[in-house]
Parts: sequence; C-alpha cells; structure tokens
Amino acid sequence: MYLYDNFDQTITQQRIGEFRDQVQRRLKGELTEEQFRPLRLMNGLYLQLHAYMLRVAVPYGTLSVVQLHKLADIATKYDRGYAHFTTRQNIQYNWIKLEQMPDLLAELGSVEMHGNQTSGNCIRNVTADQFSGVAGDEIDDPRVASEVIRQWSTFHPEFAWLPRKFKIAVTGAAHDRAAIQFHDIGLQIVRNEASEVGYRVFVGGGMGRTPVIATEVRAFLPKDELLSYLEAILRVYNRYGRRDNMYKARIKILVRELGAEEFIRQVEEEWQASDRALVNLPPAEEDRVRKFFADPPYEKIAVPVAAFEDARKNDKAFARWVATNVHTHKVPGYGAVTISLKPPGGIPGDATDKQMHAVADLAEKYSFSEVRVTHVQNLVLPYVKLADLHAVWQALGKIGFADANIGLVSDIIACPGLDYCALANARSIPIAQQISERFADLDRQHDIGPLQIKISGCINACGHHHAGHIGILGVDKAGVEFYQITLGGAADENAAIGTLIGAGFSGDDILGAVEKVIDTYLELRQSGETFIDAYRRVGAAPFKEKLYGRR
Amino acid sequence: MAPPKPISKILTANRLTNGETLFYAASGTWSAFVTEAKIVTTQEGVDELTKIGADAYAANQVIDVNVIDATADGDIKPKDIREIIRATGPTVRLDLNKSMSPAGK
Ligand code: SF4
Repeated sequence: MYLYDNFDQTITQQRIGEFRDQVQRRLKGELTEEQFRPLRLMNGLYLQLHAYMLRVAVPYGTLSVVQLHKLADIATKYDRGYAHFTTRQNIQYNWIKLEQMPDLLAELGSVEMHGNQTSGNCIRNVTADQFSGVAGDEIDDPRVASEVIRQWSTFHPEFAWLPRKFKIAVTGAAHDRAAIQFHDIGLQIVRNEASEVGYRVFVGGGMGRTPVIATEVRAFLPKDELLSYLEAILRVYNRYGRRDNMYKARIKILVRELGAEEFIRQVEEEWQASDRALVNLPPAEEDRVRKFFADPPYEKIAVPVAAFEDARKNDKAFARWVATNVHTHKVPGYGAVTISLKPPGGIPGDATDKQMHAVADLAEKYSFSEVRVTHVQNLVLPYVKLADLHAVWQALGKIGFADANIGLVSDIIACPGLDYCALANARSIPIAQQISERFADLDRQHDIGPLQIKISGCINACGHHHAGHIGILGVDKAGVEFYQITLGGAADENAAIGTLIGAGFSGDDILGAVEKVIDTYLELRQSGETFIDAYRRVGAAPFKEKLYGRR
Repeated sequence: MAPPKPISKILTANRLTNGETLFYAASGTWSAFVTEAKIVTTQEGVDELTKIGADAYAANQVIDVNVIDATADGDIKPKDIREIIRATGPTVRLDLNKSMSPAGK
C-alpha cells in the first residue's frame, strides 16, 4: 500500500490546520454560511437531512488495517456507531457535528486519511478495480496509475474549480469491474501490438439525469504519457465546459456538443502543444510509487489444497459461499474474498464499528493487513490462503457478513435515498431491504443467477440505477414516493444504459413488480442464460407485457 | 375565483454547531421536537416565520432554513414524507429515531 511521504503528510496537515481555523471562525460567526459552505464541502462535509455528513476518501478503495480500525473508532466516537460504504469506494458518516470536525479530521490525518476530493467541482477521489494487483486477468496493477493520479490531482490549482465534479476510474483488466465507461475519464490498461503497456482512454461517461456511455478517445496512450494527456483533456474541459448551467456542465455534455471527433482533435492539439515532459511522471518516480504495490510475501502453496477441497466437499454452505464470494487469485493457493455487506433485510453498504473492527482483525490475520472497498458497496480481503477460507467464512458468519450472495439478486446497490439524503425524492434503502428479504432463500438466489439490481433515490443516480440489469429510480409523484424500473443496464465492458420500461410503481407495488420481472426471466431463459443475456436476446417486450399487460 | 388555499406552516432549520434538525417553537426558542413547533395559518404568520428564520440564519444559529407545510389534526406534523423523516430520523434505523414530541410520542 502507498504510504505518505513528507510532502503528502505536510499538505494534509496544513489542510487540517486550515480547516480547524475555518470551523472556529464559522462557529464564532466570522464566516457566513455562504463563505463557509464551499470550504466545508472541500473537506467532504455536507449537510443532510438529520445532521452533517462526512465523506472520507478511500483512494482507489484500498484501506490498511490501521485505517479501518480508525474508521471504526470514528464511528464510535463521532458518529452513532456505524458508517456507510459508497459506490465511489468511499465511506460516509451520517451524524457528524461541525464543532467536532477539527478533532475528527486530525484523527483521520493520523492514518493518512481525509475528506478532500469527495465533494466540490474538482477531480474526485480516483476509483479502481477492487481486485487490483490480485486478479489473474490483469495486464498491470491499476493502483500504480491511480496513486499517480491521486498525487497529481490533489489540490491541483488549475483544476480546483472545474465546471463540475470530475471522476476518473482505472481498470487493469479487460473485464471491467470499475465501471470505467460511466466515468468522466475511464482508463483501461492495455497492451499494443508491440506488447507495450499503455491506456485505452474513454471520456465523457456518466450517470445522472443524462446517462452517457463514454467515448473512446484513444485506443492506445503510451504509459509514460498519462499525466500530460489527462491534463490536456482537463484543460479542454476547463476551458469550454459549460459553467452557465449545472445540468450541462459535465464533460459528457461538452463531448456531445462538440462531437467526439472535434473533442478529440482539440485534446490532441492541446496535448501536442503542451510541455509534456514537464508534466509526465519521470520513470524513476513511477518506479518509486510502484514499489508500494509490490506483491506481499506470498507463500508458495501447492494446489489443490486438501483442507480447502475437503471443506468445500463437506460443507455445502461454505462451497456456495466460495462459488460466489471468492475470486480467482493470480497466485496459486490464494483467493480474494468479497465480504458481503448485504445481509437479507440489511442496509446495503452499512457496517457497524464492531463489524469494521472485526473485518480489520481478519485482514490482519489472514490478508496481509489490507482491505478493499468495492463500488458495489462490499469489502474485499484481497489475499487469503485457500486453506484459511473456511475459518474466514466462519468468522464472517459471526458478524453477519457471510452471505453467499455476491453478484446475485440480493447484492443490491442502494444509495442513502430519502432516509438521509437532502437531494432525494424517495427512499432507496427500504426497497433494497424488501427485495433482499423476499429473495433471502439462497437456493432461489443461486437459481436466478447473476443479477445486478441498483437503486437510486433521485436522478443523480448515486445508486447507479442506469447501469443496473434491473435499475430502480425513486421519483416524487405529487408528494408520494414512486419507483421507475429500467432494464438492461450494465456497468462492465459491455456497458449499457437501462431502458425505462413504463410507468412507475408505488412503494407498495415495486417489490411485486421486481419479482414479476425476475419470474419472467425464469420463464423465458434458455439453458445457462443469465438475466442480462436473456434480456439482450428478447428485449423489453416480454417484461413489459408481464408488468403492464398487452397494450 | 377559487378560495385561497388554507395556510398551515412551520419553520424548520438545522443547528449550525451539530446539524440537528430543529423547529421554531411557540415558546420563541428552537426545539428538536416538531410537536412544539409554532404553526401559522396566515400570510402574516408566514412572513413572521420567514423573518425569524432569516434572522437566526444571519445570527449564525441555524442553516438550511425553510418554512414548510404542516398538519395539525391532533399533534403538529410536517406534511411531506421528506420532512416527516427529517423530524424523526431514518425510517430504516428506528432505533436511532427521535420522537416527534418531548413526551416520547
Ligand atoms: S441518488 Fe439522489 S438520493 Fe441517492 S444519494 Fe445520490 S443524490 Fe441522494
């Protein structure tokens, strides 16, 4: 894992000091809310329905055990004993007091964490594949580029006041687990014909009220040119992005208004004209960063591992959990464990202080003291020996995190919605809870197979509903919560925006509607066909007919 | 001409120091409990609440100040689901909810 150097440490401490001063001035009335609001947002502090909410950046979803323990302690000391992992691989606290923020930030700073770049019109905290460095299908470790982007973008003076927020995601594998085509910039690490490593660059993806799948602007960018090329994109956006209308301010609109060809031309022109050598990372610096992501001291393990195979044979529940929650590891004898934060009836992405401490303890014992956060609001232990999996699974069972449901119908993304969020139109969490309870039976879930349900409480789409195989969007219909269904979205390399299939459903009817959609799939699926494959074959019509009858 | 819509409003905000949801009370102070809110039924009343809210905002006591619709069949309650949730807490964490009134109702 990356460790702060003196420079990182200094700027973080300076910012903590500045914010302490700003909070004190605000509490004394020396700063007005208009003056203070942008300052608190720069530190990740929002006002929600019940209290302030603090969003803490987890760069590319990677946490040390020390950090996770600290996050748990903060939940105990400054919040109400729990926190929420988000679709941007970050963590949010819901009950924060402004007067305690300086001390809280100082505690976060002591473990190299903060809330910078989690709000405001800057380059936001970069996200990446949760299996970075351990996935067998990876060309290169995306954490290296992610860390370089983190350092380059932190407090970048030129990009502190962009037309709108700006999100970058990186994947090192062809199979996209980081939803890169729904980001302002998506980077896929690839090899060219000469087998050199570089980036396939996508620009202008996004969700929100105008969902757009990103445009490929470069099939291959040499690895060493990354920063100058990112800068060229950001410069074109900073110069021409719309500042007059916040709904048209994202780069996706600029790409659309200019046309992809013209946008690319402008970026290339800017890039060619820039002093690339000045901006690009010197190879020695990349090597320095890369060293932080060197493999942990793996053991040489002969496979198959008898204890693991026996446990799988003798314990059906364990075998099922392995099938869904353990990802193939690049190192024989190891697995990457996804810890489900989606128990039946639970709140997707929520974890208590005790659960966080317990996960940190497990990571220390079994996973080289590292934890990852996924954009699907789960956690990952990236380096677990197959021989230890049974013990890990049992330990997770004790804290309610052993559900064998990763990628299945109850592994739902849900944003905080109207239970917490000041911008919401409708509640998201209760809908997720109803669905996960209705489909709690694991036999049924495993029979249904891979299915991604994603729920947002408003059109801002933090719950990624546009990219859900089944997407649910909460809307306000004359003061009453209603839910629209979209079908066929996907966030992977075959990215697709879901299609709205008809009129919305009331809070009482949405569960039944989702169940009808799933039943329809079960009736029409061909052998081995997943939900999304079946939808792509038959389209929306059979689902519509089932939901609304013949028209 | 249609008769004017009846007015039934209360003043709400969040406390600057800790973000807590507050209601301007009949007693002339800010209360955590919506049942203690001062309810107004005239435009003059709305104007008065608006001014009180603006003054409290200017005095750095509260932020996110709003005059909202309320009902008063029995206890005073916000009309919209959003404001009901603000007054009580997340519907998915009833253990953390506060009651609408100091009596625990
Ligand atoms: S999608 Fe809307 S309701 Fe949900 S968290 Fe985002 S802004 Fe809030």
